[in-house]
Amino acid sequence: MDLSPIIISMRTASAAIALTFMLGLFVARWIVKLKSEKIKMILDGILTLPLVLPPTVMGFFLLIIFGVNRPIGRFLLDFMGVKIVFSWVATVIAAVVISFPFMYRSARGAFEQVDQNLVMAARTLGMSENKIFWKVVMPLALPGVVAGAILAFARGLGEFGATAMIAGNIANKTRTLPLAIYAEVAAGDMQAAAFYVIIVLSISFVIVVSTNYFTIRERKYIK
Amino acid sequence: MGLLVDIKKKLKGFTLYIAFETAGEYLGVLGASGCGKSMTLKCIAGVETPDEGQIVLNGKVLFDSKRKINLKPQERNVGYMIQNYALFPHMTVEENIGTGLACSKKEKIQKIGEMIESFHLQGLEKKYPNQLSGGQQQRVALARSIVYKPDVLLLDEPFSALDSHLKDKLQTEILELLNLYKGEVLIVTHDRDEAYRLCKNLVIIDNGRIVMEGNTKDIFLQPGIIAAARLTGCKNISRCEVLSSKNVRAVDWNITFETEEPVPENIKYVGIRAHDFRMINADEAKNEINTVKCDIAKIVEDVFEYNVHLKNGMLYKVKKQEWDNRKDQMNLYLKIPKDDILLLE
Amino acid sequence: MMKKKISLILVAIFCMVFAFAGCGSNTANKKGTITVAAAASLKNCMDDQLIPAFNKKYPNIKVQTSYDSSGKLQTQIEQGADIDVFFSAAMKQMTALKDKGLLADNSVVQLLENKIVLVVPANNPKGLTAFTDIVKADKIAIGDPKSVPAGQYAQEALTNLKLWDQVSAKASLGSNVTEVLTWVAEGSADAGVVYKTDAASNSKVKVVAEAPADSVSKVIYPVGIVKASKNQDAAKAFEDYLKTDEALKIFESYGFTANK
Repeated sequence: MDLSPIIISMRTASAAIALTFMLGLFVARWIVKLKSEKIKMILDGILTLPLVLPPTVMGFFLLIIFGVNRPIGRFLLDFMGVKIVFSWVATVIAAVVISFPFMYRSARGAFEQVDQNLVMAARTLGMSENKIFWKVVMPLALPGVVAGAILAFARGLGEFGATAMIAGNIANKTRTLPLAIYAEVAAGDMQAAAFYVIIVLSISFVIVVSTNYFTIRERKYIK
Repeated sequence: MGLLVDIKKKLKGFTLYIAFETAGEYLGVLGASGCGKSMTLKCIAGVETPDEGQIVLNGKVLFDSKRKINLKPQERNVGYMIQNYALFPHMTVEENIGTGLACSKKEKIQKIGEMIESFHLQGLEKKYPNQLSGGQQQRVALARSIVYKPDVLLLDEPFSALDSHLKDKLQTEILELLNLYKGEVLIVTHDRDEAYRLCKNLVIIDNGRIVMEGNTKDIFLQPGIIAAARLTGCKNISRCEVLSSKNVRAVDWNITFETEEPVPENIKYVGIRAHDFRMINADEAKNEINTVKCDIAKIVEDVFEYNVHLKNGMLYKVKKQEWDNRKDQMNLYLKIPKDDILLLE
Repeated sequence: MMKKKISLILVAIFCMVFAFAGCGSNTANKKGTITVAAAASLKNCMDDQLIPAFNKKYPNIKVQTSYDSSGKLQTQIEQGADIDVFFSAAMKQMTALKDKGLLADNSVVQLLENKIVLVVPANNPKGLTAFTDIVKADKIAIGDPKSVPAGQYAQEALTNLKLWDQVSAKASLGSNVTEVLTWVAEGSADAGVVYKTDAASNSKVKVVAEAPADSVSKVIYPVGIVKASKNQDAAKAFEDYLKTDEALKIFESYGFTANK
């Protein structure tokens, strides 16, 4: 049984969640701080788009950006010798783009749920805005943030449509679990497909349960 | 030194126009809900910004619209405690108290320790806010606001969140604890008892403006205007007609009063505090002025007193024992001492 | 309030019509509708010319189509999908169905022949000139041999040329031949193996060479009628039409050759 899709998927999903987590957190913080409601709405809409669009649409846009016949892709190739498409990095990029909205929305919701009186009190106590974010807002928003991270990780692990379009299906390089499952089903090898499916199920289940346990523990002091 | 506030801010429905100065005494800010008193505190703390004006604390300019100065809350060195305390739920008592301190770890531990002792929080250092009683939470919140020695202490309805049977006890305790703090103190409240007990001086806010200010006791004795009378708990207020220099007629009760001093021209209302009546019998009443027949509409029993509602709309509060001891409750007259007649604008 | 109610009802009706419109295709009982499942490489030819020509002769038979890799289509037929005619890009899938008894007796016709070719993006970044140059490319695209006939042929040819191990190590496996073609057209892959007919349909790829004749077996495109078809007559009419000179001329114009 070929185990490489499992390894590739884990590497991809791990790299993706690391990027998505930081990106989602900081963008959410930035948006929450914005003063203009109108700008907030528009930006929020753009950032949430990958959530509602079919992944193939995202794949299309990624191809427009990184394809070697397109301006940016051409530039990267000619001046930096870097070809994103058909590389492992492309699987990470696809996963990040697709999973970002989950992280962003969860983080933003969690931040906005924090009692604003606490933030106000912290300001009068002399805490800097940075300190307030890390010592007051983040700890209280943590359950929501973690929930967002779980969703984002799972979505990144399961990313298929956009991945196929820009990363291709190269064994030991870009063949993630979803691609492997799809190929096995196409070939009629249901047994091989089932093997991979069980792996995905198990990984996801373990992550969800252990993270729930973690967040419930953390909340013991917020009633 | 002291606190100087002179601000204007447009709010929903009315404009806030507040100007006052403090100099060391506890200042009470009394007003009905929504009158703008909390907003005033927020402007002083810096979490809200007035449209124009200035706020100066001990000579340091916190806000000045003309010179475009507007210090962030973090820079103002104020202590601000709100109604439900805003204790950080994910931090222990110790950690909460220490949040406003910016000094070495050693110093922090020492200062927090002092607060724990002064505020009788021993044994609770490692507890979380949701494990504390209301009174304990209040002490932690106060300790947190005082420990870094702010230049002014702003208390917004400090006792509203507590059970009424605790309020009495806690108000006395808090007074003691506040003695540990040497700076300006502003207490916002809608409770007249709190204002009377805790604050030497008072400003009364009605619809965004200060309608009365001065010594608390004096204001309670002579509210001067109808808003002040209401807020200081006067239950009997009637429109009045000025009949002559020392005679007014309470229109709503159909009684004529003779006053001690000449009645100023702009008096529009008359007020009598519910406790200020004296019971006299029918005979005595014949020879007395400023009396009203005690025509009882209904009596509502409180724990220690009776609320005697008269048919003309007036309310007389009397200790149960005093009332029960009279035999002539059906033929009673009530006398109002001249000093107790409140003439209100 | 009334306006709101009316528009809600209209929306509901619209949705229902939309939903039921899809249902129509499930009832192949309706006389004159057949579903043809064909290999991806046949799409352009059939949609653009063949089916319109068929409909000129048989205006009452509606032809619905489904294009994908022959392997996936085979799986779908095995799973009971409502397909009447199967037009595969290799004998493998057709034989598999025949062995499972899923095809109407004697309905298999080995109709067309195609060739597999090495293609590169229009600007030929790696400067390939022969079929065996495929190993010079970094990123290679071929169909998944497990389910895509074009991939099976590629594997066969490359194995015979002793190049399979090298190529498969760096190959991206497409789930159908159109995907492979797109990868090369976009320049993501430096080289790929597709059908000659596919290369002709996309201006962004260039044909370098055909696979050497002795390296690969004939690429036969068979057509067969599914036994479970509820429209045997219409299916037979369609299959018969494919055998006509008129149909073969159309196929040839796209690069196929009639199988002699």
